[in-house]
Amino acid sequence: MAEFVHSNAQREIEAYGYDGVVKSHCRMCHGGCGVLVYTRAGKVAKIAGDPDCPINHGTLCSKGLASAQLAYHPDRLTYPVKRIGPKASGQWQRISWDEALDTIAGRINAYKERFGAESVVLGYGTGRENEAAIYRFANLLGSPNVLTAGHFCYGPRIATSIITCGTNPIVDYAADPKCIMVWGNNLVISNPDCYKGEPFSVSLNKGAKLIAVDPRLTRIAARADVWLPLRPGTDAALAYGMLNVIVNEELYDRDFVENHVYGWKPFVERVNEYPLDRVEAITWVSREKIRAAARLFAATKPAAIQWGVAIEQQINCADNDRLLMFLMGLTGNIDVPGGQMLFPPPRIRNVGYFGAHRMLSDAQREKRLGGKRFRLAGNFAIINPKCVWDAILEEKPYPVKMLFFISSNPVLTRANAREVYRALQKVDFMAVSDFFITPTAELADIVLPAATWLEMDYIGDFWKRHGYILPRRKIIQVGECRSDHEMLNDLAHRVGQGAHWWDDFEKALDWILEPLGITWQEFKKMDYIRGEVRPRKYKEKGFSTPTRKFELWSTLLETWGYDPLPQYREPPESPVSTPELLASFPYILITGARSPGFFHTENRQVPWLRELHRDPMVQIHPETARKEGIQEGDWVVIESPRGKVRQRAQLFEGMDPRIVAAQHAWWFPEKKDPGHGWDESNINILTDNAYTNCDPAMGATHIRSLLCRIYPERQTHEAEGIG
Amino acid sequence: MAKYSLMVFKKDCMGCHACEVACKQEHGLGVGPRFVRVLENGPDFFPIYCHHCANAPCQRACPVDAISRNTDGIVLIDRELCIGCKECLPACPFGAMQFDDDSDSAVKCDLCIDRLNAGLAPACSSVCATQCIAWGSTRTLSDRAVGEAVRGKL
Repeated sequence: MAEFVHSNAQREIEAYGYDGVVKSHCRMCHGGCGVLVYTRAGKVAKIAGDPDCPINHGTLCSKGLASAQLAYHPDRLTYPVKRIGPKASGQWQRISWDEALDTIAGRINAYKERFGAESVVLGYGTGRENEAAIYRFANLLGSPNVLTAGHFCYGPRIATSIITCGTNPIVDYAADPKCIMVWGNNLVISNPDCYKGEPFSVSLNKGAKLIAVDPRLTRIAARADVWLPLRPGTDAALAYGMLNVIVNEELYDRDFVENHVYGWKPFVERVNEYPLDRVEAITWVSREKIRAAARLFAATKPAAIQWGVAIEQQINCADNDRLLMFLMGLTGNIDVPGGQMLFPPPRIRNVGYFGAHRMLSDAQREKRLGGKRFRLAGNFAIINPKCVWDAILEEKPYPVKMLFFISSNPVLTRANAREVYRALQKVDFMAVSDFFITPTAELADIVLPAATWLEMDYIGDFWKRHGYILPRRKIIQVGECRSDHEMLNDLAHRVGQGAHWWDDFEKALDWILEPLGITWQEFKKMDYIRGEVRPRKYKEKGFSTPTRKFELWSTLLETWGYDPLPQYREPPESPVSTPELLASFPYILITGARSPGFFHTENRQVPWLRELHRDPMVQIHPETARKEGIQEGDWVVIESPRGKVRQRAQLFEGMDPRIVAAQHAWWFPEKKDPGHGWDESNINILTDNAYTNCDPAMGATHIRSLLCRIYPERQTHEAEGIG
Repeated sequence: MAKYSLMVFKKDCMGCHACEVACKQEHGLGVGPRFVRVLENGPDFFPIYCHHCANAPCQRACPVDAISRNTDGIVLIDRELCIGCKECLPACPFGAMQFDDDSDSAVKCDLCIDRLNAGLAPACSSVCATQCIAWGSTRTLSDRAVGEAVRGKL
């Protein structure tokens, strides 16, 4: 037989009789993988990875492969609708795009006139590459309130890295790190921003040492040279423990510390408040393991920290991020090949520029919800979600009258779900843009049909920090669906800010690319553009911080009244901070472990992906299960002081028996009533969003660890199951 | 005797299930039949395939000789001959034999024979992010397996 290739577009087209192939850029998660989309008779026939793409090298995940099942799903919303019955009654009437957008525009202007632009809150969930356009619209409107996930996801990495070293340090897998420390993510089945599983796997198979920090024995942890199964929520203490070893055993990069760091002396004092015996007691990790990990990470060059969101959905969010950056920097791995590079983007009008943040007046910025309380977040245009619910429910500090959620399903994804639901029931007017009528959309007044990645042109990865931008090329049109960018461009004209937008969104893409001297049509012919990669820029220019140094002592946090050095705070609900709850809620509940076929609330109705994950699963240690009378596969009730939900038990030995691990974002599209089972297995029924439980600087809500009890569901009280 | 093999390097399987979905897309399968199944046990994942056995129990179980093994060693089902009796399903010790309700026929991994004939590697192997599903000459794959074992990596 002839030589085999994994992917050869020409041969595929010949063998299967496809009409052609289009290169594009998937966005089933945050996006990033290059894909080949084969078409036949104008429809998507097959999707494969693009071997020429430097991000995924031809590999692709289950979600990318199943994209056509999403695009062509029979339940997909393909035209705008308006609600004609009470909220959550499931009664909708089809309307035209003109009526939908004119209604939304009318409402926006009316509320702005009567209550101020701040009473209109736009929002998105996790990143769907529509963030810049949403911010642009809000800033030009004069609303300082854009509700995102940025208070506890990726936004903190941006904010803390800017104040520490100028920009987000990204693992340089292409140059093969010799030691990788995976902390707070499982990137081979999930999507930490700017990272993919394939490059990590390649580096690992080339012989990189591996350290895993995770309460659960994931596949990564099972392969690691050192696994640190920390008590959930104690990441800052663990990081300080490792830093204690590195400082006291003088394993740090002397040149970097002597010449490029600010705040070394007070930092060393703080580090010495975390000796290993104290850290061991806090984290449940033995001092031998902490020492081994610290020495391995510090001694192997180059080394990198593969970090992710789990450390940010905690009360120590900002300090967790900073401490990990200190580990990167003090070991001399910042801005070095194979370590953690500060990649510049290509010379384009970037997301900050496109987001028009400078167009928001100071007077309006002052009104940002929670801005005075969570000052790091506030300075990065990020708000804490509870501020919005309070502004709706209590009308304090002023009323929020309108919500416009684009790619967001907050009744599932926001902490304290029942409070969210009450707020959405009460709010005067809500518009939603999504693929389906989700439980959140069921509470809306107007729902707009959003386009999937197969149905839009865009500059992909334009918001990331790995330095690449890639074209996403429109391949099909489904019904009347429109991309969020086009929708916002259109809406912008209708509310009266059209002077700052374009006739059509392609011109916006041209505008973004203009500094490079190319148009969208020219970019569309390319595979990608990458910013110039240059290591150790700090040696000539320093870091883009106020002191031009890598700031251990943050001068900006000091200005804003915060502790300039990181500290460890005990999780708000834990065996240590709330021991009085242990009698009733004896287990530590961790939430949010990813499923490869889903992306938060997405894909529950996509057949190939739902088949991979039939039911919401909760992992329980066999000893705990025995104690509670639970068997593999049983539906069980998980209960916290806030409420209870049901998930199915999966016995799992790979974690401390005191830990229970539940999944998040579960709703049931197959339940056709307008509730769609939103509160049956939704772990956010159990989480708490009190301000005192949030990171004081970023407003990050601590949802990753709480206390629970768990018991089998009794037959007589069994909720209607899906079998 | 087959000169090419599909070899699974179990240590690298990360449980992403991309292989399962790539296979479904390639063969136009709906929900139900899975030609490759990634099984999970604690932190371990293992893709289970049809082994294209030299002495195939499914072939022996079939009352109408719908199952045969070609000169490259690929065990194939002739869909025209299959009567949908399902005797082959329990015959397979690996559970690799599946049943497609839409066509009332036994179905299973065919090593993407159409792709092989076009000089393309199997769909599962082409998407695997860790290359744990490796397709290539049996000799090369064996060398890789032995090499990794010697270096203490398996």
